[in-house]
Amino acid sequence: MYSNIVIQRQWARLAGLFRTLSSLEGQKLPVGRKSIDGISPPVRISRSSTDILQALAATVGVDPTAPHFKYHDDPFLIPQSNYRKRAYALSAEAGRKAASWIRDEQSQLFTTREWDPPMKMKTPYHNADPPIDAFNPRPIYNDESKVTEEDLLYTIQNALLEDAIRVYQLLSASEGVNDDLKLALLQLLCFYNEKEPIAAEWLEERWFAAATRERQATTWRLGGLADKIFSAMDPKTPEAYCTVIQGMAKYYQAERAHALAQEAMEKGIPLSTSVYNALLSCVGFLKEGTTLRIEALKALLSQMNEQGISPNSDTLTSCLKSISAWGGGKALQTFALQIVAEFKQLNIQPGLSAYYYLLCLFCKERGPRIDVLTTILNDLEGRDSLEPTDAMDTHFFITAMGVCSEHLQNIDLADRVHALLMKDDNYRLVGDAYKESIYYRHLVSVACRHAPFEKTAQLLDTLIPNIYVPEPSVMEEIIKTLELAGAGDRLAEVWSQLVVFGLAKRVKLVERLLDALCNCYTYQDEEIKEKIRSAAADMLKFGQMVQEQNEPESRTPIQKLSASALTNIIELCADVKDKADESWEVVGEALARLRSEQASGLPSRPEVISSVAKKAATYGKPGLAATAVTYLAECGFEEATTACVETLGVMLNRPTDEVQTLLREPRSSLESSLHPSALVIAEAFHLAKTGAPIDSSASSESDSETSDDD
Amino acid sequence: MNSSIFKLIQNVSAVSKSSAILSSQFHTSPALCRVVSGKYRITKKRDKPLTYEMANPPHYIAHRKTWNSWNTSSLKDGLRRPETALEDEFIRRFMNGTWHGLVCSEIIIKRQFNHIRVAAIIRRAVSPTKMYFLLGYSEELMANWLHCPVTLELQTVDSFKDVVFKYI
Repeated sequence: MYSNIVIQRQWARLAGLFRTLSSLEGQKLPVGRKSIDGISPPVRISRSSTDILQALAATVGVDPTAPHFKYHDDPFLIPQSNYRKRAYALSAEAGRKAASWIRDEQSQLFTTREWDPPMKMKTPYHNADPPIDAFNPRPIYNDESKVTEEDLLYTIQNALLEDAIRVYQLLSASEGVNDDLKLALLQLLCFYNEKEPIAAEWLEERWFAAATRERQATTWRLGGLADKIFSAMDPKTPEAYCTVIQGMAKYYQAERAHALAQEAMEKGIPLSTSVYNALLSCVGFLKEGTTLRIEALKALLSQMNEQGISPNSDTLTSCLKSISAWGGGKALQTFALQIVAEFKQLNIQPGLSAYYYLLCLFCKERGPRIDVLTTILNDLEGRDSLEPTDAMDTHFFITAMGVCSEHLQNIDLADRVHALLMKDDNYRLVGDAYKESIYYRHLVSVACRHAPFEKTAQLLDTLIPNIYVPEPSVMEEIIKTLELAGAGDRLAEVWSQLVVFGLAKRVKLVERLLDALCNCYTYQDEEIKEKIRSAAADMLKFGQMVQEQNEPESRTPIQKLSASALTNIIELCADVKDKADESWEVVGEALARLRSEQASGLPSRPEVISSVAKKAATYGKPGLAATAVTYLAECGFEEATTACVETLGVMLNRPTDEVQTLLREPRSSLESSLHPSALVIAEAFHLAKTGAPIDSSASSESDSETSDDD
Repeated sequence: MNSSIFKLIQNVSAVSKSSAILSSQFHTSPALCRVVSGKYRITKKRDKPLTYEMANPPHYIAHRKTWNSWNTSSLKDGLRRPETALEDEFIRRFMNGTWHGLVCSEIIIKRQFNHIRVAAIIRRAVSPTKMYFLLGYSEELMANWLHCPVTLELQTVDSFKDVVFKYI
């Protein structure tokens, strides 16, 4: 009895096991056909371990109004200017580098148990289970270290170029290196041209790396380790040939690359497609003149055909790279289009970098306006995704935007380019910090020039300051746009932006802003006028503050606001309807600076000063009025005499002709009858009229008194 | 406390030389615990600054203030109890030493999965650039030591006075 039951149970178990096995197998196979009961489960989709995380991340967009998440979320630690953004990100990375230097140097502290008693052998200890390689100390290689082939493999796989060279030298001195590893090392050396790359770990350093545009010059190290390894190789394998030729071609050692290729072909060594691609990209170095170069390129392509090697999209890119480097002109452009058409017949689509070279070829700075961008965008917008395949792919968007802004001056195309960049995760194609800022410079300037104002304002609001901080030239463009639109409110805010972005010391920009403020001041609301006045007053104060700070050093000459800019400040600040307003102090300050010749040049609109003088007299500020007209008279403006007469008229409340008769009286009689300020004005009148003061002795004293006791 | 222990020892040795009695009477701290530990003594001049965290004695935890370490290891069947406690102490000392004279608050350590978040209030006595250097340095070094991602969540205040809750 018992045994039977047991067997039955076992049977049930076995059956269950088979069921699960079969279903497991069924999962592996795509289940396409319908089952008997009409239910067909969907085909299993294999997913990687991070797919769910990526799907979750895709639901959250980037908030352009928040600072980048690499910056700490605290008002004190959020950067505002370009300089600070760079400094903060790189400081954090420097700290991280310091920490990993300590980890590598003091590796025993990180890999052994701390609480082992002294003098005893230390027990290896890892906090994580299973151990995580990323947190473990990296080995340090020096001339004494004992190395094996595993070390060489490790350094090659992690692209530690200098370490790899050291380990190779140690190894070849002792036991020698096997051929596979030699080839791997040769590949590493050729790819980087024996220059240590910035490790992928240091994101910020790569992002902010100095934007040196790689020159098209021979940088290949002749007689370097790569050359030595290659010449010592015996027999030379096809891989070795391919590697060295590609390395030489990549670093523009064109003649030797082609000679080696020739040698390989004579020996009957097969070359790969990528070798031909590399040769194609430097074919122009062999010949002079467009026609010869085109012929050489064609010859190389037909040689590929003879060898039976099929081209790929990189072949197209290399051809276009060569062609775009040969200058412009109709012949090259038609040739490039021919090549693109021919590759399309072979069903090879141009990649982003190919399009980049096309844009370079067609859209020259001083060339005729050719619109290839529309076609390119039509093609790119139709694609599902833009996968980066070439290092030059990151140049596409910045060039496209540059073409939109400078060559075609078309806001619609710029919008399309921007939309394409923002689609999915195309933003990774923006390149690095330098390219990103140039991209936005082009976008903002094309929007300022050609977009309707509301749209521009919206764009500026989203981009500035967290994504992009405008450079001085772009700031000028923005000020111009705001001035045209008459947005006094935003213009007043521009001043605080200038201060925050560290541009407030640029006098040209400040002067431009003051001009813009003056031009659109009259038709603003009272509230906005108030803001503009305070901004103008602040500019004056900021100038003084900078001067005070800089005085002890005085190594760099401080730029001062010009007389016209000061006049603008005076005009803005004098527009008040109250005697007790603080703005009068600012006016007085600006006038004092004008008179003490702290400003460069002469005011372009002296009539502003004369009207301010009249106004000051009306509001019971005779001291200010006197300073203003004296300044006019001292500078020898024509307006000085009429200004004197009118101001005096207002001050004494008499008609003009009476004032003029009064002014003809001798100084002694005036002195007794007039207020000291009025006396100063009378003196200014004589100065303006005759070119010399009435009585040369008293003028300077009296005006210094009067400016105080108004 | 030390003197009381010595007195005890003397008394005990006077009464009897048996070590069993000594060991059973050696626990002097529990009696003091409720009265003294986690509390601050009032000074004569009443000028000792206390933060909010210090001003609330331990029995207000979970009523007026919260824990300084957040983890699940001290729950029933929690993992890595001694390690967690030791690591927390290490993190506190590391932070206080690295951000020397800048930390104005208790250091709060929050653990989620293998992620450690360290929160503190920092004085703005050094430039932001230096702060970023220290941030990167402490995050990376602690991550390498503890073998898990560490994130610093700092807030800055102008001076220590900003975190003072009262003077006693």
